[in-house]
Amino acid sequence: MSQDDRTDWQLRQANEALQAKLAKCKRELCTVRQDLEDFSYAVSHDLREPLRMVCSYLELIEKRYAHALNEEGQEFLEYATEGAERLQAMLDGLLEYSRVTTRGQRLQAVDAGTVFRRAAASLERVIRETGAVITCDPLPTVHADPDQLGTVFRNLLENSLIFRGSVSPQIHISAQQEGAEWVFTIVDNGLGIDPRFHDRVFVVFQRVHGREYGGVGMGLAICKRIIERHGGRIWIDSQAGRGAKFFFTLPAPGAETP
Amino acid sequence: MKGWEMARPLRILLIEDNPADVRLTKEAFRESGCLTDLAVVEDGVEAMAFLRREGRYASAPRPDLILLDLNLPKKDGREVLAEIKSDNTLARTPVVVLTSSRADRDICRAYELGANCYVTKPIDLEQFLQVVKAVQDFWLAVVELPGE
Repeated sequence: MSQDDRTDWQLRQANEALQAKLAKCKRELCTVRQDLEDFSYAVSHDLREPLRMVCSYLELIEKRYAHALNEEGQEFLEYATEGAERLQAMLDGLLEYSRVTTRGQRLQAVDAGTVFRRAAASLERVIRETGAVITCDPLPTVHADPDQLGTVFRNLLENSLIFRGSVSPQIHISAQQEGAEWVFTIVDNGLGIDPRFHDRVFVVFQRVHGREYGGVGMGLAICKRIIERHGGRIWIDSQAGRGAKFFFTLPAPGAETP
Repeated sequence: MKGWEMARPLRILLIEDNPADVRLTKEAFRESGCLTDLAVVEDGVEAMAFLRREGRYASAPRPDLILLDLNLPKKDGREVLAEIKSDNTLARTPVVVLTSSRADRDICRAYELGANCYVTKPIDLEQFLQVVKAVQDFWLAVVELPGE
């Protein structure tokens, strides 16, 4: 065997080993996806069933027997109902979170401006009620799942509207190209978040502000999962009491990551 | 003939294994204020025996409408649905799948097997009452049912 032949043979061996490893990784990925799909099914169906019984019978008790309960009894019933409703909202959030990867559409060229305007329109009522002013620079075309990009815009807008300060919310969105990606920025004049908590806001079920603001702490976690599915990053720049700036990146069309 | 034109209450067979759910469905029919004749069986094997009038169900009446839960012990709701729809005498009885699953695969499979409609049970009681009332109104007053 000549030197060239030997090198050629070694190269082919290495290539085959690599192919085998790749096939193994693909199989493992398939298993993980299937597990996640089974998990989301369990969340959507199996856990919901007993919860439905709890919620329904609590309502039935309230409907038929609330008048027979004293003030304390009614208070207990209220706490039980609140807990059940909260669990229901958490299950919904968890399901949405797990579906980011299992139910995502193909990434495609999407006009971010159109998606943003649609997301803002879906919050029309709360925008009117809070007197919010939302402004928007021209936004680019990006490589994204249109529905999921809409969810990111909607969740970030909702976040700014919910955690508003004592003045009417002002929210501005812009985007700048940096190399092969676009960096989106959403700035608000709301409550802001102390830098100590910046990592926590993107974690499932973590809330920084009190219960009076509602929500179960899933909105930003879902944003993070969506952006990461697109090969991007999301982060925050904020000080308590001085508004918040959320940033996220998305690949520009033609520069998509695999 | 429409359900309300019958000289007797609409006969409904509820196939559901969870007693809490059975009770809730009964309460929903009660709240809707409409007279129905509701029979209940708790698993798929009992359901087929009832429908085929076997054993202790020899004199069971033929239902006008079947409400079927999907997850049942012994014989699954999907199997029950497949057996009903492939049986010449049973196939014409409308089957309403009434389940808490909103999974696409359950919905698609149920329609493939010949379900007449697929209804998910809402978590909220008021909504559940409305759903049961809507199902009842639709099958009683809107659709034409096969005669006996």
